[in-house]
Amino acid sequence: MTRSEAEKLLKQIFKLDNFYDEQWVAIEKILRGEKVLLIEKTGFGKSLCFQFPAAIFPGTTVIFSPLIALMRDQVKKLSLLGISAKCINSEQTPEENSLIMSEAQKGALKILYIAPERQENSEWIEATRGINLSMVVVDEAHCISVWGHDFRPAFKRIAKLINLLPKGLPVLATTATATKRVEKDIEKQIGGIISTIRGNLMRDNFRLFVVKVNSEDEKLIWLGKNLTRFPGSGILYTGTRADTEIYSRWFQNLNISSTPYHAGLDSASRIEVENGLMENRWKCIIATNALGMGIDKPDIRFIIHTQIPQSPIHYYQEIGRAGRDGQQAYIVLFYNETDRKLPEAFIEAGRPSLHKYERVITAVKSALLGERDLIKKTNLKQTQFRVIKADLIEQGIVREVNLGRSKKYEFVPGSGPLNSEAFDELREAKLKDLDNMINYTETTGSRMQFLCEYLGDKTTLTFNNCDNSGQKKIAVSVTPDWVDKLKSFRENYFPVLEVESPASNIVNGVAASYYGVSNVGSAIHRSKYENGGDYPDFLIDFVLRAFRKVSQGRIFDLIVYVPPTVSGNLVKNFAIKIGASLNIPVSDNLHKNRITSEQKVFQNNYLKKENVSGSFGYSEPTELTGKSILLIDDIFDSGATIKEIGKLLTYHNAIFIFPLVIARTIGGDLD
Amino acid sequence: MKDASYWISLAHLPKWGQQKTNNLIIQFYHENKLTIEDFFHLREEDWKKDYGLSDNQVFDLQKAKADLPNNAFLAEALLNQGYEIIPITSSEYSKTLKSNLKAAHSPVVLYIKGNKKILEEDSVAIVGSRDAADVSLRFTDNIAKNASRDFKVIVSGFAKGVDKQALDSAIKYNGQSIIVLPQGIMTFESGFKNYYKQIIDGNVLVLSTFFPKAPWRVELAMARNPIIYGLATEIYVAESSDKGGTWSGVVDGLRKGRKIFVRNPDINEKNANLLLIRRGAVSVDFDGCVLPQNYGANIESPMLVVNDTAGSDLIDKKIIDLLRIRPLNAKELLVELSLNWSGQKLSKYLKTLDFISVTKVKNSTTYSIKDDSTPKQLTFFS
Repeated sequence: MTRSEAEKLLKQIFKLDNFYDEQWVAIEKILRGEKVLLIEKTGFGKSLCFQFPAAIFPGTTVIFSPLIALMRDQVKKLSLLGISAKCINSEQTPEENSLIMSEAQKGALKILYIAPERQENSEWIEATRGINLSMVVVDEAHCISVWGHDFRPAFKRIAKLINLLPKGLPVLATTATATKRVEKDIEKQIGGIISTIRGNLMRDNFRLFVVKVNSEDEKLIWLGKNLTRFPGSGILYTGTRADTEIYSRWFQNLNISSTPYHAGLDSASRIEVENGLMENRWKCIIATNALGMGIDKPDIRFIIHTQIPQSPIHYYQEIGRAGRDGQQAYIVLFYNETDRKLPEAFIEAGRPSLHKYERVITAVKSALLGERDLIKKTNLKQTQFRVIKADLIEQGIVREVNLGRSKKYEFVPGSGPLNSEAFDELREAKLKDLDNMINYTETTGSRMQFLCEYLGDKTTLTFNNCDNSGQKKIAVSVTPDWVDKLKSFRENYFPVLEVESPASNIVNGVAASYYGVSNVGSAIHRSKYENGGDYPDFLIDFVLRAFRKVSQGRIFDLIVYVPPTVSGNLVKNFAIKIGASLNIPVSDNLHKNRITSEQKVFQNNYLKKENVSGSFGYSEPTELTGKSILLIDDIFDSGATIKEIGKLLTYHNAIFIFPLVIARTIGGDLD
Repeated sequence: MKDASYWISLAHLPKWGQQKTNNLIIQFYHENKLTIEDFFHLREEDWKKDYGLSDNQVFDLQKAKADLPNNAFLAEALLNQGYEIIPITSSEYSKTLKSNLKAAHSPVVLYIKGNKKILEEDSVAIVGSRDAADVSLRFTDNIAKNASRDFKVIVSGFAKGVDKQALDSAIKYNGQSIIVLPQGIMTFESGFKNYYKQIIDGNVLVLSTFFPKAPWRVELAMARNPIIYGLATEIYVAESSDKGGTWSGVVDGLRKGRKIFVRNPDINEKNANLLLIRRGAVSVDFDGCVLPQNYGANIESPMLVVNDTAGSDLIDKKIIDLLRIRPLNAKELLVELSLNWSGQKLSKYLKTLDFISVTKVKNSTTYSIKDDSTPKQLTFFS
């Protein structure tokens, strides 16, 4: 097919006049049945390079994409053009997915979006037998490489799949962010039969700023003052889930419309926020990096980071979502020297200690087990277990097998010993990337050029789009009125304890603070683990303030406190003091039926739940009948203990149970 | 294994049978030095011209070619879960199987999981009824024990009774074994769970020759029997009735000229072991030691009395000898064999023998020995 023939079809189907030259180079190769790696910046029009061939091929094109939001979005757009497209994903019911698979088998779909993880699903493998496959596309192909910023093990399998596809079946792998090293790695994994097209990565509509600050307060204050001065709507990236809540509450407090978004939200809430983002429902979404890749909104006008990402490539990827329409977009990065700690901790925590690896290997050898059993058997955190599992699979020591609908992990006979050098090498590389991220904040040259060069784009273009090259620098000024505003916010904002369930009369409670965010954590730690005596009075004041704020005058009949595992009478004494202040009697009748271990010993929720299940009893249950109970503990972690007690008190006819604690942890604080 | 999807496509061409597919492989791989990928991407004309394929065969191959992308998905899932695909051209393919089954019956690919080195060892198949008597199970245990002691691999069909006993005993005596599946290898999930330790320790190899997702079917169970025999260097029969899988498997093996050891039964046993010994199987004692020829063969077993089976291996041998000299018709054969059968009975019997070729000229039918010594097969199995 000639270019002009193709462009005629392009006009008919996509209502576009012509291809960019680079698009046509890629499309021509695909039409010839070649395999292509396409590295082009966001907004280049990579999608068209597979959507056009897919629309004219006789069969179905399967597109592996890691992002459900993107799948949904593209399906919507293709449907409007009259191109039959559907996606299979975990947020649809199995019945919906099965129906879509059978449509594909009937040849009713031109494009089928699917997550790479689906390759693990035997129903899908079965279904592929009936699909007339025309092309395979791998979107976000940098996920194939461990040297990229978002390695995903499921993509490894896709690389292997591509190796097994017959000659002449076109394959397109696309990404906007691949360094030279990632590019070479993808080429190697796909078997050297792929040709690479790399475009320039310069985004000249960006206005890049770095704001040096000395504290978290300075970030909050500057944003409080200036967020509404940015044009349009945008995204604020924070480093932790807790920060998304704190920033969002801060903005609400200032009447700036915003909403938090992180992977801890259920899928319905996430979809709601994604839709709201498209409709500009808020000035700003406060998100972790869970919001991201592939949000196809053309007019994101600003992207602000309150925390440095792990590397310039993470950063380029995250800011890449701004200004797809080519109009100006503001890109702001806050940097406080202590901010290095968080990404550093991610890098270090990302790699569990070697004896934990050995623990998993031993467990895997003992029997054919699934994830849940292995987590219990090894007493590892789920996240840690998953890191170990992925590494062991990567090193060919363990493999994942399907047993009916469940996944099991199998030891690979004859596999070599654990290669910890690979981890060290990766860790070193990541720390170096982090240094480079900090270099980005320190550079006196063009920031855009810094990013392009980092990504392997040797450009000769000139740049004048950052605060080192033509734009004014941003300085933070802290004024007393804003210091007061922030102080009053901090004193009135309390984390919620989410424990409500239909089967229990317990309601969501409140913590005075997050464990890790203020001096609260260290005060608790001194009393609890360093023989520092009773909890200091400022904690009592703090808790009382939280209580008064949230309980809104509700009358309580009785205080019940969580009996200790090891830390003596700390919680009891604390409850007595609270009781004295509020004038509520304190009951000693909640006790342990059996000896439990400290919850923090258990690294995952399966074991935490088992540890406390059925472990409490109540000596004078009649005193609970018809009563409203204030339930007191010091630290709220998984919530398993509080929920278990809620069940018991409900069983003994308490009508209202409100948990009140000093601090709520954010995953991993207690290590 | 880059060409896995090609091998899956080629191995399961509908109704081609091993002979036809293997001959094609001999042609493109051994004679024309093409990879399977090259062969699949030849033009239709070349398939017809260079390989003498008919329109129907070309149609089948085109269909197999269209399945390649789909089989790539399957192959990836297979390989990722630690299954391996060993094509007949691979040096890892069982040499025992190849030399026993030749091009005519060797499966095009072996799907395996486990320690494939096991395929290189001397091997013992112990076969028998699903509801074998206790004495047969004890015999099985004993043979498996001796084999394991001698570092021989036990080949088991994973059926109830003798097969299962053979496997369990091999495991008990720390021996190695091959489980030959009557189903596709991806459908053996519970087995992989139950034999997990043995598989990862390298003591059990699971093998199937069927489409990986094929569920158990009686036809597959039957088709698996020759694979069990083919994988074994020695075959022991613990117990056989006069019909069913064991019986037909042994009879088939004897016809193909395999030496088969059958447990010599006690006088009162109700089974067909003695019949098999009469047909040319070698009778052995509890330890598998060969008994003097015809030991016990003239004992009247209840089975022998009840059964009027067409004949014994002796008759087959005589038929071969006679037909080697010249083709004969049924009447002539009857005279030469001095049998008191009807001509019809003999014709019927002759048709069941796979080494006989039948020629019809006008009203007379003559029988001759099939010429099975094609040199091409020899190059293939070199």
